[in-house]
Amino acid sequence: MAGGDMGAPRQARHANKPHKARRRLNVRIDMTPMVDVVMLLITFFMLTTVFNTPQTMEINMPSEEGATVEVPESNLLTLRVSHGDRIFWNIGVESPKTLEFAQLRPFLLREIAANPKLITLVKVDRMSPYKSMVDVMDELNLANISRFSLAPFKDFDRDLVDAVATP
Amino acid sequence: MVRKKLGRLSVFIDMTPMVDVSMLLLTFFMLTTQFRPAAEAEIVLPSSNSAIKLPESDVMTITISKDDRIFLGVDSQRLRGELFGADNALKGGVHVENMEQLAALLMQARTLNPKLRTVIKGDQGAPYGPVQDVMDVLQRVKITRFNLVTDLEKG
Repeated sequence: MAGGDMGAPRQARHANKPHKARRRLNVRIDMTPMVDVVMLLITFFMLTTVFNTPQTMEINMPSEEGATVEVPESNLLTLRVSHGDRIFWNIGVESPKTLEFAQLRPFLLREIAANPKLITLVKVDRMSPYKSMVDVMDELNLANISRFSLAPFKDFDRDLVDAVATP
Repeated sequence: MVRKKLGRLSVFIDMTPMVDVSMLLLTFFMLTTQFRPAAEAEIVLPSSNSAIKLPESDVMTITISKDDRIFLGVDSQRLRGELFGADNALKGGVHVENMEQLAALLMQARTLNPKLRTVIKGDQGAPYGPVQDVMDVLQRVKITRFNLVTDLEKG
């Protein structure tokens, strides 16, 4: 029944009868508003999709809190970042010396070349900005020092650094 | 009269394939999109040369704002509802009052989804103190692997 109905216009189109063509025209739906809406939605979702994921630095911490490594003092490089965003370094029990941030990477490369067994200990003052800690860690990574220790910056360290900063 | 009708017919473009493609794109973007919840605090990231990408899913973010407030957020809305209660499911993260609360939430989150990766997102001007406390808490709850979110250094 329905098939017979479908067949009739198809044959009619081949015959190119104007009357039948006008009847087919009524079946067409104007899709323009729909396309408008769809395009709008596409643009919206394309714009809101986040493609760039931020970069990260990965840190692996030792699993045990009490994990200790015995290091001879002569192999221990201590980097202290004070609240004034100044960097101090010392090896072993020497008194700290100040260092410019721009000099940090060449300094680290030089020290690690001089003593490959050097262990780096980083102490960051609680008052100093987070950025300086990330910067120092970034410099360490760039100098291929992938293992280092993070230790709390104690009052003792502050006294030590203040003694150097104010002669 | 009839000739005129036929002439108009040829102008009519068949939009069906275009609609097909558009609908396909639309479904794709609607299904893949993840609405970013409103940021709880404006964070200016510090920059570094590290090029490790942030994982796309199963991320737990500890945000440390410039005025050293700490927020905890997870990326899945379902987990947010389970963790912080249904009221907070649409929020990006909740304000964490103290380190004990943070430790409890971290452990709870880890049991709900063991695949969660932890990232610390600190403002570059935030003091280091709270960051150190957060890292101590992470170590205490045995999350020894975490990432620091940074921007790629320019120049």
